[in-house]
Amino acid sequence: MRRSLPEPTSERIPNLAPMVDVVMVILVFFLLGASLELATEGVLQTELDPRSGPGEGAPVEIIPAVKIALAEADGGQACNIYVMGAPLPGNTFDDLARFLSQRRAAGADTQNPLIIAAQPAVRWRFVVKAMDVAVRSGFSNVQFAVSLGGGTPVKP
Amino acid sequence: MLFRPPKPVGMTLNLAPMVDVMMCLIVFFLLASRLVDAQHRPLNLPYARAAREVGRGELGPLVINVRPAADDALRAEYVVQGWDGRRIVEQALPADQIARYLQARADVARARGAPLRCVIRADEQVAYGHVEVVLRGCGLARIANVVFGARAGEEPKERT
Repeated sequence: MRRSLPEPTSERIPNLAPMVDVVMVILVFFLLGASLELATEGVLQTELDPRSGPGEGAPVEIIPAVKIALAEADGGQACNIYVMGAPLPGNTFDDLARFLSQRRAAGADTQNPLIIAAQPAVRWRFVVKAMDVAVRSGFSNVQFAVSLGGGTPVKP
Repeated sequence: MLFRPPKPVGMTLNLAPMVDVMMCLIVFFLLASRLVDAQHRPLNLPYARAAREVGRGELGPLVINVRPAADDALRAEYVVQGWDGRRIVEQALPADQIARYLQARADVARARGAPLRCVIRADEQVAYGHVEVVLRGCGLARIANVVFGARAGEEPKERT
């Protein structure tokens, strides 16, 4: 009896479909992860006074439209708000927004600098909040009072 | 003449080139996200509704991250990017080096005639005094264009 040899089988290719599935899922994960993080970060703009800089020691005289001062309270968990040297009635950022809206309605020039001065121990979030309120109230020229001392003023 | 129909052949899609391309994309994202992490360490940025949303590419090359020190929340670390010859690395600067660093960056930018913007990304819990160190350095280096990093949007109610 004569046996015929089996026909040569075609080239064997591994099944790549599951691997493609997994790789696709990883790819989508990276794509979404990257874009989600992007969407939430923003910036607040300020311009430093061009008269600042070398020649330090010479204070810069600015006549601000509004001056906001922040003082530390509650061990850094809160802050006291002063406007034009006087405590702000209510002492909240909503009250500050109302005050700034009134100033604007009364004819304050919103192109004039609005100065924010904060004690060194005030938390940064309160400073940004004051700046946020000022910008939303229409005062676009927000500047910061910076002490002339060197080094880290909070804790050396 | 007798025609014999051809034997049916199983057709398979050749997925190998597609896998190659996808692997390249994954490697790209892996490496890119590592670089981005070095540049944008996770910080609890403060919320600001007025913040203008920006992409990472818009921030520019001069970014100073101010975050609370790991061992003492009253101290701060100033983290900047540096180039060690092979890759972007994070570099922690002491407070008294900030002014010198900013001056050097400003000098380089002026020599190239390029505008320079300083991005200050400060954690919401750091004290203003630490950010003031950077602002003072910008003033001394005559970097007028300064922006602050913030999370765009409304602060969650439970935090206010």
